[in-house]
Amino acid sequence: MPVCGRCPRTSIEHKMRCEQARQLFDAYLDGELSGALATELGAHRVKCPDCRRALALMEVSGHVIASDRDPVALHGDFADRLLACTDSKSVRSRDRLRRGLYIAGPLAAAAVVALAFLGAFDRPAKFAGEKVETARPLAVSSPQEQSPEAGNRGASANEDLLEEWFKETQDNWAAKRQSGESLQRQFELTISQMLDILRQAKDTSPGADHFPGADGEVPASPPEPAPTDDEDVEDL
Amino acid sequence: MARGMVRETAVTPSREYERQLVGRAQADDRLASRELVELHKDRLFSFIWRMVRNHHDAEEICQEAFLKAFASLGTFSSEYRFSTWLFTIGYRVCLNHLRRKRALTGELDFTALPHDGDSALPGSIESEEAGRLKELVWSAVDRLSAPQRATLVLFYRHELSCHEMAQVLELPVATVKSHLHRARNRLRELLESVTEHELQEFRNRAGAAG
Repeated sequence: MPVCGRCPRTSIEHKMRCEQARQLFDAYLDGELSGALATELGAHRVKCPDCRRALALMEVSGHVIASDRDPVALHGDFADRLLACTDSKSVRSRDRLRRGLYIAGPLAAAAVVALAFLGAFDRPAKFAGEKVETARPLAVSSPQEQSPEAGNRGASANEDLLEEWFKETQDNWAAKRQSGESLQRQFELTISQMLDILRQAKDTSPGADHFPGADGEVPASPPEPAPTDDEDVEDL
Repeated sequence: MARGMVRETAVTPSREYERQLVGRAQADDRLASRELVELHKDRLFSFIWRMVRNHHDAEEICQEAFLKAFASLGTFSSEYRFSTWLFTIGYRVCLNHLRRKRALTGELDFTALPHDGDSALPGSIESEEAGRLKELVWSAVDRLSAPQRATLVLFYRHELSCHEMAQVLELPVATVKSHLHRARNRLRELLESVTEHELQEFRNRAGAAG
């Protein structure tokens, strides 16, 4: 059996011992080794120069990493600059919110107007045959202008018509919702429907030249927020 | 075993005080936000600088980490330490930065990069051997992988336990221990050129200093 040149152990025994010792290095360096194992490792360290050197290199590295001073430091105004950044970020997020409202507000208004127009123009198109009832405004009948019977008949016809129209609109929207169309899509369809009706009304009506929207009173799309950068202004 | 240069020099706030500060910062208290920055900026910068070894990059990453932390302060859970959470964010930003840099410049070799400063500070008195040894150690640290470098710096410099490191690095504790073990062995291999005389000289001076 070959004998180790540094200690009286055989090379196999020595190697085994070193492998066992090296398995304890981490626990030793982490300060988690105590009792008999620590004593045994200490004894091995004294006898074995390889393990002694390996452990010394690890200890010295740890010491340098722990204690060496950083040659650089943060600039003194780091906190000021950082907090200024957080301020500008919150301002930007507020701007985004304001911009969102600026766009969403007119969109919502357009949708409401679109629904109103849909009701106003869909009705005569739908009930073109029922000239008497649809041509007459719904709420103009009064007892002073008409006999009570005629008034009741007219009011009753208007109510029936209104009820039928509401029911049909409700059914249409329910069917659209069931078919999975999103609210936005429904609004888009309503707006495009409204524009078609306006176009038809303009083509057929002699007084349509002065219809709101024909001369740009109602913007077709929501207004863009005012440009703030010089580049944006140049683009315009 | 010498550990915790950074923890010794920087004031570490108590957990309760830190929780109070975070609560106030969540309610948009500007003073509390400033206090949080002042308490953690040096430790975070030290860690990040040891990871990227560039002053400008480290400062940018540090700033980004704080901004990300403040932006998502509402989601912060008080069961964690703010410092641990901040280091986690900083480490993630660091990794992204290193990935971007590697994509631009190929394999990262910190030893080939010009460093911001020398380990020997002006005015510090140390032998030529000790200075060379420090240089060799940091040069070897720079050659380790990012997780290995992070575990060494967090363990020795910031005195984090394996459990805390696991939280910062978002790794299992066993993986963190494995990184630490491999990092030490790799350092030992890279420092083979250190002579017995240099080791002895350093230990004498360290013993005399501490």
